[in-house]
Amino acid sequence: MDRRTFVKRTCIGSAGLLLGGAPALGSDELVLPLAPPIDVREAPLGKKSPLGMPGLYPGSVVEVADQRAIAGNRVSQPIVREMLERGLKELTGENSARAAYAKFIEPNDVVGIKINPSGAPACCSSPELVREIIDGVRSAGVPARNIVVYDRFGYEMDIGSYQTLLPPGIRVLGVQDGLLDASGYDANVYCQADFFGEWETRSYMASIVAKGVDKIINVPTLKDHSASGVTGCLKNVAYGTFNNVARSHKAPYSFTNPLIGVMCTVEPLRSKVVLNIMDGMRMVWHGGPLTQNQDFIYQAGILMVSTDPVAMDTIELEAIDKKRREQGAPSVWARNPKSITADGREFYGDASKNLFYRQPGHIAAAGKLGLGVSDLKQIDHRKLQLG
Amino acid sequence: MEMTNYPFEAEGPVVPENDWITLLKDNARSGGRGAPALASPAKARWQMRVGSSIRSAPVLHEGTLYVTSTSGYLHAIGTDNGRLNWKFKAGGQIHSTPSLCGGAILFGCDDGKVYAVNGESGTKVWEATTEGEVWTSPVTRQGVVFFGSADGHMYAVDAQSGRKRWKQELGGRIYSTAYAAEKSIYVGCGDGHVHSLDAASGKILWSTLTGNGIDSSAALSGDTLLIGSEDFFIYALDASSGAVRWKYETGLGVSSPPAVSGGVAVIGSKDGYMYALEITTGKLRWRMEAGQVITGPAVFGDSVIYIQSWGLHALDAATGKVVWRAGLGTGVQNAPVITERTIYLTSSDGDVYALE
Repeated sequence: MDRRTFVKRTCIGSAGLLLGGAPALGSDELVLPLAPPIDVREAPLGKKSPLGMPGLYPGSVVEVADQRAIAGNRVSQPIVREMLERGLKELTGENSARAAYAKFIEPNDVVGIKINPSGAPACCSSPELVREIIDGVRSAGVPARNIVVYDRFGYEMDIGSYQTLLPPGIRVLGVQDGLLDASGYDANVYCQADFFGEWETRSYMASIVAKGVDKIINVPTLKDHSASGVTGCLKNVAYGTFNNVARSHKAPYSFTNPLIGVMCTVEPLRSKVVLNIMDGMRMVWHGGPLTQNQDFIYQAGILMVSTDPVAMDTIELEAIDKKRREQGAPSVWARNPKSITADGREFYGDASKNLFYRQPGHIAAAGKLGLGVSDLKQIDHRKLQLG
Repeated sequence: MEMTNYPFEAEGPVVPENDWITLLKDNARSGGRGAPALASPAKARWQMRVGSSIRSAPVLHEGTLYVTSTSGYLHAIGTDNGRLNWKFKAGGQIHSTPSLCGGAILFGCDDGKVYAVNGESGTKVWEATTEGEVWTSPVTRQGVVFFGSADGHMYAVDAQSGRKRWKQELGGRIYSTAYAAEKSIYVGCGDGHVHSLDAASGKILWSTLTGNGIDSSAALSGDTLLIGSEDFFIYALDASSGAVRWKYETGLGVSSPPAVSGGVAVIGSKDGYMYALEITTGKLRWRMEAGQVITGPAVFGDSVIYIQSWGLHALDAATGKVVWRAGLGTGVQNAPVITERTIYLTSSDGDVYALE
């Protein structure tokens, strides 16, 4: 095995979760097909990092809100700066943002900042927030040349204008050029499963994650997802690190549960993700991940900070489902065949419709894989209201 | 290679009718002004693939189409049959729209260099080095090539040798292609400023701050400078002072460079609309919903405007109404080349088409 490990992850996906704390389903709802086993080939690690998921503060999520953070769809960088500093200090107990970053980052680290540009320009990681994170990493002693802002798809980063809007000296990297470009991936680190009889059953890890960076700061957005329920910390680093992931969902079925959680366990990804900063300036409560329909994008003006991706995504899931209830849309847990449509235009215009049976249970499944805390009662959810 | 004159400069000899030598046709950014309106293409005279994504606009000279791609190649393609004449390998991905200077093709590269390549043989003439990737298109004026780099500097190099004339630090990354007027260079910057630089020295003449970074490229109409900003606004500035004459708000950031003709500036926004604005007043003439994000430049024909946004749209220049659409040419910063009977089109999927 070339000093690499090759293991079969225990699947505790769809069926397991039906027994494991998901909301009760209506009698007219479906029992979905079981996910196949997933084989994992991962890079060798001498020792798992204590900073890796769920990190230094499992079960803790700090949410910072400020009404001034976004106005007219424009994000205020000075307000974001204050929000981020307060959130980091609250999470770590340190008295400065610089000291907080130093909990996770060392000056000789190469630091990856994993943004979420899918959905650009309407809803993606705010450049204002990314700039603040870059400043924070630099304050911990990391030179600009050792900071890489990355995602899988270069064209999505182009649309978000990240290349232009971020400071000189850092790298801005799109891992792959086109849908079938595999040159930016490590052929020796992968997840393998046959979901729907696809010819390529492997998803390879991005080389920038496998070999290029020492630490990763994950910057997901607060967003509904038609296949996985929500796209938060877990999905941003899983489906934003491995290629060939769209194969996990074929309408109307989705095996995002358990694939998302399993991918997050694969080393070295698991050990490298040390901090999650969720961009909740805008909340997409329907049509994610790609909608541009402003009717479904709420300017929430919040940030969340945590080392525990499961706890944070659990909070995100609650927030999005609450917003959907307020808007009269069905829960992301709903599995009503009448809600399924194959018409993308209908999905993007009607919050009662969906393309897949969503799989929000992927979050709890990830918790069972040891990635964090999914029980709301056990999550220390601290809320700060600044303005 | 001898390059003793610069026949394609803004104030130099007239650009041959069917040549398209830089972004938006010529250094005046006329965008094909005067080209006849073409009917919906009936067929592709040829189609070829370059093997990787094309994230730039092509240029055309004497029967050869020059196309850059993210595989790191500059491709020289015969327009009569779509066959590859030669290709030149640079040191990294290429996102820069090439431009012509004498007999050389100039383009920037992600390896931090600007290359000058002989347009006939495909051999390197010179290279100039920066510390960041160069996505902007090199612009030539009076024997000097101007370009910005992601290292935060504007550069001026000698067109014959590539030797540095000056280098000016600005406050952010530069992805805005410079506009070269007789004495001034105009460029947008990632820190949100629009700058005017002295063409001879690089000294900053004025700077005007917008509300966010700029990757749109400027166009000059008379003494009015037009440019978009990621702060959602389209700006009209006094070219001599940088004073804001008017600004027009769109729904999202504006990366698209304006095309100007007949007193009107046409520019796309990431909100999915094309806007036609009167240059003197900023008054909206029309807007048209493309249905998708627009980040590339518009091209002006005689009475038709062409824009690539997940396909090619031809709009009536007077009203903005769709004349025809073609589902070819998905692009981010791509723009077509228009000739009397052919539309040359590239796509981010790596396709090149000659439509007629």
